Amino acid sequence: MRKRNVGKIIIYLFAIFWTVMTLFPLLITFLCSVKDNSGITLGMFSWPKVFQWSNYVDAIQAAHILRAVMNSLFVSLVSTMAVIIIGMFAAYVLSRKKFKMRGIIYSLFLVGVMVPVHCTIIPISGMATITGGKNTFWFLILIYIAFNLSQAIFLFTGYLKGIDKELDEAAIIDGCNDFQLLTRILFPVSIPIISTEAILAFIYGYGELIFAMILMTDVNKYTVSRAMLTFQGGYNVSLGPIFACIIIAVLPMVLIYILFHEKVQEGMLTGAVKG
Amino acid sequence: MRTKKKNDLLTITLFLLPALLIFACFVIYPVGDTMYLSLRKWKGIFGAAKQWVGISNYTRVLADENFWKSLLNSLYFMIGGFVILMPLSYGLALIITSKLRGTKIMKTAFFMPVMLSTTAVALMWVFILNPSYGAVNQILRAIGLERLCKDWLSTPTLNIWSVILVNEWMFAGYNMLIFAAGLVSIPQDLYEAAQLDGCTGWKKIRYISIPLSKESFKIFSVLCITGCLKTFDLIWAMTKGGPNRSSEMPATLLYNEAFTYKNFGKSSAIGVILLVLGITLSLMTNRVFRREED
Repeated sequence: MRKRNVGKIIIYLFAIFWTVMTLFPLLITFLCSVKDNSGITLGMFSWPKVFQWSNYVDAIQAAHILRAVMNSLFVSLVSTMAVIIIGMFAAYVLSRKKFKMRGIIYSLFLVGVMVPVHCTIIPISGMATITGGKNTFWFLILIYIAFNLSQAIFLFTGYLKGIDKELDEAAIIDGCNDFQLLTRILFPVSIPIISTEAILAFIYGYGELIFAMILMTDVNKYTVSRAMLTFQGGYNVSLGPIFACIIIAVLPMVLIYILFHEKVQEGMLTGAVKG
Repeated sequence: MRTKKKNDLLTITLFLLPALLIFACFVIYPVGDTMYLSLRKWKGIFGAAKQWVGISNYTRVLADENFWKSLLNSLYFMIGGFVILMPLSYGLALIITSKLRGTKIMKTAFFMPVMLSTTAVALMWVFILNPSYGAVNQILRAIGLERLCKDWLSTPTLNIWSVILVNEWMFAGYNMLIFAAGLVSIPQDLYEAAQLDGCTGWKKIRYISIPLSKESFKIFSVLCITGCLKTFDLIWAMTKGGPNRSSEMPATLLYNEAFTYKNFGKSSAIGVILLVLGITLSLMTNRVFRREED
């Protein structure tokens, strides 16, 4: 009995240790975001003597972090919605219709999961130059759609295949055509898998770096990830606002996570296991 | 009947078209173009001829010590993944699936880092690891281990391991979920039966949990191996592959060759090698696990 207690204590200690380890970088970042330079350079750890909230004003006014957050939210929101709509339409055909090329088209999309994004960056950068897509949101959005489609189609097709065909038949007897069947009946039924894919695509879009780096050179069009890269300045920059920027940048995701943590965890797990 | 079939064909085409178009333009065509470019010499000037050079880009890549160094660095990432990340996430998974109190809050906390965008995580740790005022060195000084204070991100080899540890910090909670999903699916009566046979604590983990988590280990391995090969964001935001290219990963090397040194042909060759390597490694991992099942 005593031996068991020792084991339990060790497990508890480890659990507490990792909880602290997980939260401590965020806590330090927050503390530093309300300090002045000397407060940070004398030690990141110490409790701030004065809470210098003006760092946040600087972050918004001088570093334009809010605009970067807005850009990121916009790009990831639009690309997420588009992936869902385009993906559902394709998945409907791939799961409901019989035609010659079906197998080939489906496996084509599946192979897409294996393609590392890095081996497409040179051609895509060239295409952006030719089409005038550099520094435009629509081009970035199209790319985010493209790199989420494989996963979306895979998840949606699997889910739609599992839905009882009787539902289709009933709808068709009621006079639904394909479009109505998909938009009025199957979309609502597929909400669980749609929200899973929405989470995955949204997180991807919000944090994506390499395409944002290649395609966005105009400071006003920077997404969050791209904007973060400009902050590794020298010693004479004021550090407080940089930390404030980090906090503002992670805030949307932290809020979404706190509100929907069970759904987010479930969605990420589905993405990992099936993807 | 005939019009219905015609109608069907129209629906199929219209419904599939957007997906196919986007996919063909931004995934298939670029991959093909990368393969095409990998056999040519091109300095990235529009209109300039892309001169056929055969496989010389590939031989240049294979003769480049930076390429081998980047592969070594991604090998370090994989070693870190299997030696540090795997036991850590498995341990966390055991904790959150146990009957302890507060597991729900712990689960929520452990998973959080992966939600923060990679560059924000990177920037946070760049400051924490700062040699002069960073929190890590500050703690070391406070507990009298001043000689262990290092310039974590500028010392070769140490910098890659620092980034690896940040990577494990970020993904421990994510992989914990994968293992936890496997653990939850183990039937409870197996544990009860084992208990009757006198199996307790550690033995239950050793003889029931771990052997029955094979599927999760497989998923972890595939994700870890392909992920390590593709790592870009974290290393780029923390070291940019430097200093002096000591922390270069295959993906940062590819990026630098193209956009810093304008060797687009050579960079494309790296891309093709990465593509082939990634697919081969994930097929191999699958096969290793399948053989063990037999």
